[in-house]
Amino acid sequence: MAKDLLTVDNLQVWFPVRRGFVESLTSREQRYVKAVDGVSFNIKEREIFCLVGESGCGKTTTGKAILRLVEPTGGVVRYSGPGLDDAMMKEAADRAVAKKLLSKKDAEGLVKEKSLDVRSLPKDKMKLLRQKMQIIFQDPYESLNPKQSIYDIVAEPLVVNSLGANEAEREQRVAKAIDDAGLRPPKHFMWRYPHEVSGGQRQRVGIAGALVLEPNFLVADEPVSMLDVSIRSEILKLMLDLRDKKGLTYLFITHDLSVAYVFSDRIGIMYLGKIVELGPTEEVIKNPKHPYTKALISVVPKPDPRMKTEKIILKGERPDPSNIPPGCRFHPRCPFAMDKCRQAEPEPMYVSQEHWVSCWLEMGEGKS
Amino acid sequence: MPQVSPGSGVADERQRKLLRGNEGMTLLEVNDLKTYFKTQEGTLKAVDGISFDLEKGQAMGLAGESGCGKTTAALSIMKLLPANGYIAGGNINFMGQEMSKVTGDRLRAIRWRDISIIFQGAMNALNPVKRVGDQIVEPILLHENVEEEVALRRVKELFELVGINPNRIREYPHELSGGMRQRVMIAMALACRPKLVICDEPTTALDVMIQAQILTLLKNLQSELELAMIIISHDLSVLAETCELLAIMYAGKIVERSSAVEVFSNPQHPYTKGLIAAFPNIKGDRKMPASIAGNPPDLIKPPPGCRFAERCYMVQDVCNKEEPPLVEVLPGHFAACHFVKAKG
Repeated sequence: MAKDLLTVDNLQVWFPVRRGFVESLTSREQRYVKAVDGVSFNIKEREIFCLVGESGCGKTTTGKAILRLVEPTGGVVRYSGPGLDDAMMKEAADRAVAKKLLSKKDAEGLVKEKSLDVRSLPKDKMKLLRQKMQIIFQDPYESLNPKQSIYDIVAEPLVVNSLGANEAEREQRVAKAIDDAGLRPPKHFMWRYPHEVSGGQRQRVGIAGALVLEPNFLVADEPVSMLDVSIRSEILKLMLDLRDKKGLTYLFITHDLSVAYVFSDRIGIMYLGKIVELGPTEEVIKNPKHPYTKALISVVPKPDPRMKTEKIILKGERPDPSNIPPGCRFHPRCPFAMDKCRQAEPEPMYVSQEHWVSCWLEMGEGKS
Repeated sequence: MPQVSPGSGVADERQRKLLRGNEGMTLLEVNDLKTYFKTQEGTLKAVDGISFDLEKGQAMGLAGESGCGKTTAALSIMKLLPANGYIAGGNINFMGQEMSKVTGDRLRAIRWRDISIIFQGAMNALNPVKRVGDQIVEPILLHENVEEEVALRRVKELFELVGINPNRIREYPHELSGGMRQRVMIAMALACRPKLVICDEPTTALDVMIQAQILTLLKNLQSELELAMIIISHDLSVLAETCELLAIMYAGKIVERSSAVEVFSNPQHPYTKGLIAAFPNIKGDRKMPASIAGNPPDLIKPPPGCRFAERCYMVQDVCNKEEPPLVEVLPGHFAACHFVKAKG
């Protein structure tokens, strides 16, 4: 069994809703947009874990909170990849105890397991850790600076982190990253500008920028959704290759279940800030348990007009994370909602060794 | 179980009507259309000789990668090309009128009244400071000699038709969600009861669940109102769900055209085969789909032979020298490749 590289436990990201002057006087309760509201999962070494959900369900915020690009407001993120130095782990543990995030015993346990609590790292150490944890963004048309050459874009992380002894060494590392991202020969691409290359090549530049620091863990936020279908699988294959060659681990974020299906090892289905079903990809797609998962799978367009399948089209739209319904948060849109669902939130229940679901139906409610 | 279509050779009644049918009136006939753009580097041949026709109530999908000219083709039909674009050849016949000769007031009368268009990312095209209802009333008043009250009543009906509560006509765009705004745009496109609606990537910016809602809506509207539709998308699976006819475009040319079922069950052109194989199928085996390596050619200096030759897995000498004609492989099924055999 591969060990866990990343453990996320009850992660929360709540954004306070700004109150007007009158509202604060009338002392209405402070409201929050609960973008991420108690998410737990783990990612093993060299695994591709996929978060799937509609826009606004908190999947991107989860990815960013793990890298602390937005600060989590609760929960624990533990990272235990290679290349952590002891001083850093010690400092994180001490701060976690001081901030009462962890008990002393747990903190010492962490150090012993050679992992650290990401949330307790001070900002400067977080910068060091981010060399190991990088992110690839969705839109290669907007995430690259049009005034920088590809060399400058890819070299930027080295500059920011003061890495590379001299210009020659930097250039060598940049060339290697560009080569690893499949832009060959690197010399041919290095001095071009983003508008001179195609969409797929742009996304490769984004990947090169993440690879140049030689990370162990990558958050890939919808890396192929802006690309033409004909080149999507090239990028996915590149990412698989990189995992095999460099031992990378991915958190893959997408709204496209069919991409998740072919690419990931395990899937977590997110709804309104929470994971409602999680398990091995094949099992979740072929044998979905949660009504939301079933609906999502049913509406994926099939690339064949001869396939006519029953669609479960949910009514209504993206629900409001500042006003999460009581009980099961899916119940207003659920075709099977019962009284129980309006009253209490279901706990995760295992339906097989690695596959769990949070739904009252699976817990035997409503069956007679 | 997927329903298997009648085999490639034996076309049933409906199929035959679909492909050949002369019963219905031909609504739109596009013949050897060429649309070029003047650029600093030279003339860009965005659309270079495409032909198809569309009957009343038919939905055709126009598929292809970005930059293949599918949006340009649509804009040519509406005569909405940007200043540096011009129609260099061919003709577009809409309901017996030659579109190249239609100008001024007559053109304005055709636009929106007979042909309307839903642009890509259209839900962001609503005027943020006007109530959504008023924005739909406007084209009705412009095109038809009716009282504002009548127009308003029609807007309410349209809202109901596209599945929005009619009470929301007094709301502003920011009060509606993305899917709702897209519905408003569809309502607006239908405001003057057009015969042809062109949808340019109608669901690309939307979530899967909303996408399914909108696609179902488009399909229902099409059969209820007997609308003809041209749906443009790079996503074949979206077209598979909504269109009965399908045309595949590559680098300014239609490389394959037939009924959607035919194209999917019996693809002839290597590019079509590649596109279909590039789709992950959630109902199929869990395997990484194939990709088509390489990039489309430069349309300022297109290669002399087949435009797909550079990326084609079965390329031969002849492909780089001669351009393959679009031949009828089976009744109503056209493909442009040196290695498909013409029927008979």
